[in-house]
Amino acid sequence: MRQDTAQGPTPFAGRLSASVAGVALLGLFIFPYATYGRNFGGAGLLQLLVGGTLDFTGINPATLPDFSLSLLLAWPLLLSLLVVIWASVQRKSWLWIAGLSSMVIAIVAIVALKLSLNLEIDRLVATGMRLNKIIYLAGGANLGLALPVVAGLVAVVSSLSGMKSWKGRLERFRSALIPLVSILLSIVVGAVVILLVQIVPNSLTVPLSAIQQWYGKADLIWFVYSTLIAPITNLADFSRSLLLATPLILTGLSVAFAFRAGMFNIGAPGQMIMGGIFAMLVGVYVPLPAMLLLPLTVVAAAFGGALWGGIVGWLKARFGSSEVINTIMMNYIASGIFVFMIGSNSFAFLGHKYPLPFKAEGFEGKSAELQAGAKLPTLAQMIGLDKVGDTASLAWVAGLLIFGIVAVALQGRFKDQRRWIFAALGGLVATGLLWIPFTIVADGGLLEIRLNASFVFIALLSAVFFAVFLWRTAKGYEVRAVGLAPKAAQYGGINVAQNTILAMVIAGAFAGLTATHYVMGAAINGQFNLNLSLPSNVGFDGITVALLGQSTPWGVVASSIFFGVLDTGGLYVDQKLDALTRDIVTVLKATIVFFIAVQGFLGKKVTDPTPILEHKDPPKDDPKDPKDAHKDDAANDLKLNKKVS
Amino acid sequence: MEDGGNSVILLTFLGTFVRSTTPLLLASLGGLYSERSGVVNIALEGIIIFGALAAAVVTQLTEASLGDAAPWLGWLAGMVVGAFVAWIHAIASIKYKANQVISGTAINLLAIGVPGVLLNALYNSSSESKSVDHALPLWGFGDSLRFSPPVYFAFVMVIVTWYVMYKTPFGLRLRATGEHPKAAASMGVNVYTIRYTGVILSGVLAGSAGVFLSIGFLSSFTRNISAGLGFIALAALIFGKWTPLGCLLATLLFGFFRALSVQYGGTDVLPSSLVETLPFIFTIIALAFTGKSQAPKAVGQPYEG
Repeated sequence: MRQDTAQGPTPFAGRLSASVAGVALLGLFIFPYATYGRNFGGAGLLQLLVGGTLDFTGINPATLPDFSLSLLLAWPLLLSLLVVIWASVQRKSWLWIAGLSSMVIAIVAIVALKLSLNLEIDRLVATGMRLNKIIYLAGGANLGLALPVVAGLVAVVSSLSGMKSWKGRLERFRSALIPLVSILLSIVVGAVVILLVQIVPNSLTVPLSAIQQWYGKADLIWFVYSTLIAPITNLADFSRSLLLATPLILTGLSVAFAFRAGMFNIGAPGQMIMGGIFAMLVGVYVPLPAMLLLPLTVVAAAFGGALWGGIVGWLKARFGSSEVINTIMMNYIASGIFVFMIGSNSFAFLGHKYPLPFKAEGFEGKSAELQAGAKLPTLAQMIGLDKVGDTASLAWVAGLLIFGIVAVALQGRFKDQRRWIFAALGGLVATGLLWIPFTIVADGGLLEIRLNASFVFIALLSAVFFAVFLWRTAKGYEVRAVGLAPKAAQYGGINVAQNTILAMVIAGAFAGLTATHYVMGAAINGQFNLNLSLPSNVGFDGITVALLGQSTPWGVVASSIFFGVLDTGGLYVDQKLDALTRDIVTVLKATIVFFIAVQGFLGKKVTDPTPILEHKDPPKDDPKDPKDAHKDDAANDLKLNKKVS
Repeated sequence: MEDGGNSVILLTFLGTFVRSTTPLLLASLGGLYSERSGVVNIALEGIIIFGALAAAVVTQLTEASLGDAAPWLGWLAGMVVGAFVAWIHAIASIKYKANQVISGTAINLLAIGVPGVLLNALYNSSSESKSVDHALPLWGFGDSLRFSPPVYFAFVMVIVTWYVMYKTPFGLRLRATGEHPKAAASMGVNVYTIRYTGVILSGVLAGSAGVFLSIGFLSSFTRNISAGLGFIALAALIFGKWTPLGCLLATLLFGFFRALSVQYGGTDVLPSSLVETLPFIFTIIALAFTGKSQAPKAVGQPYEG
């Protein structure tokens, strides 16, 4: 082996990096390079690297923003990508430098685009043009310039994966491989669907030429996907994403918790409904001061879900009946009870009418409003944004983030408490420095989003509870043992029946807690009540989220936010394109689940390899059977291929 | 006079009863083929929706040129699409040894998203298809006892399924792969082929259930047309202990409750929302007392051959 391949990428990583860089290199020419802007229907005014501008808007402005710097940067980028390809094929250890430089050049080019767009926007605003008339607001990079960033990233990761010092660190993220590949594959499937359904948006009167069609289609795919993830770039849309993510986190944790105990909880919708009913009963009818009412309502929400999950757990423990079927049945029973209670204020039985007290007056199926003490404030209210024009700084969020990052980075560096002092200092400095730039001003759009206290205080804390309970307590160990190998657990003295019930109780409680969001947080339409429009289908999305998050608490949180972003972006796709609707997001979710089910078509070798730890301690000719180590690792992963009994 | 009124009500109820039973029966017989071969099929719900969508769209698009033949082509399309969707489930569960519940869930999710995308592209509405002028014909007698062909097909299929399951070599092999695939393989049975066949047959039948809904009962596809029928059919399959006759009896029982809630839902006899939950409560009870011992032994387990 030559010197520089010793620490170079593996042959597979090299091929991967080379092919992605190859696509990016081609992409510079065969995809649009940048977007000047778009009209309301999504038709673009595009810049090609070679071949000038391409206008689908029919506006044809007299002056365009100056993209010459970005265009000039394309040539060093081209060179850099060539180097990446060569270094990948030769498996050089310095591949990461080439990869990083490709990324940096591409990002600089993107920033340059934005700067010149902003210059032109400022100029137009100065001439008195209204903001919504300016198409350049939607401008930015396009597929041709975005792919090199990805290619650079792939090159860096491929290169680092070959280095001894980095291999262990990257190995920890191997469980993210299946979700990532699944997302990529579903992006491809989604792109095919987009092309089948939606014609290239344009406002031209003449039919498009073949070349226009090609670039237009490439731009369409870029436009849809960039619209879908755009909500991460502005605060109001991101708040909306978090709003949608809150119940997803809870139902995702619910499904994930049951997975960890070896069960499949399809019953989150029913558990959500029961949580809602119990929260409503306590929040509306129990006369208590706010100090007690608020926590009691939260407990009631959890109890409702726990009851519904617990019944299924008991049925499984006592009779061995399948939780898959029973949770589905319980969903329908819950929704029957729900409609019965909230749908009408009386019911008939054999000719007699009996009154029901729960439905409020009016046509809409809803309960009475909660007592004031059971209402949760929005997060905006909690940080002091009550009306339009109020300001607050979010710098402390960045501060907390820095605190966490420093604390993790210094792990094991000091023996005493200095790690925490440094972390706290870092957090405080970051908060102080960012106080002004991170100050936000409340506008109507932000205030009407009912992102409420249940995101932080229920959903995120539930994720913390999930992590601590399963991996830091004896009871959690028992639950996991039952999930991995019930027979072995029983042999080891663990009460399988009890843990099965406990797991379903906790799983149900997570789903029930969504009531804190919908009922106590008025997340649906600003009304603090239990409403028949409760979107209990979110319970099924919990399955998607749990699978994508590989049943880890932080995976669930991250994928929930990801889906929240996509759902928010879907609303804009609805608005802007005529044939394509936000249903594309559902299709993406479904294909992600499908690809995760088939393990992203990845082989066992990739998803379930012999762990790297094995090479550290024992000498090379260790007699230990590698098959055993393989088993340990397999046991560490969630075994979804267990029999569904 | 009163007697005549009663018999009209009775006949109407009988008609509703048969129509509520049909899709359940078709889907649960479909589930039977899949589960007896050893593959859990919670994708029935999704397959019904895809079948309904295909039937409505194909009928609507071809009726201008084909006229009365169009709904029959629609039915064929419903079966083919049902089979295709089931085939995807089969590939995931059999070839890639995926968790069958997850794969089924993915298909049910697809059945929420794809109709919206397709309807919007074809009809510019994300909730329903254009209604068809030529639905399947109604055969029968009287005013209330006239049914579309899938109804008769469903009841005939009970006998056919019973015969196939218990009187043909294929049925024996199918049951064997569901009970003990290794043993079946050792007797020269190709477990993979049998399972693929079982799952695809389930798609054909569940697709037909969808066909009945969209062009045999209504005249268009509406969003969420199935509204959980696939899951009720699955419950009926369990309630009927995985036998064709059991499926018939269970779906008749569940169909009866559905008909009750349709017929008496708006009146002051029964609270329909609670009556609708009865099949589910029965299933839970039945499953508690009979469930596990009756299920095909190898159901849900990928076959590693």
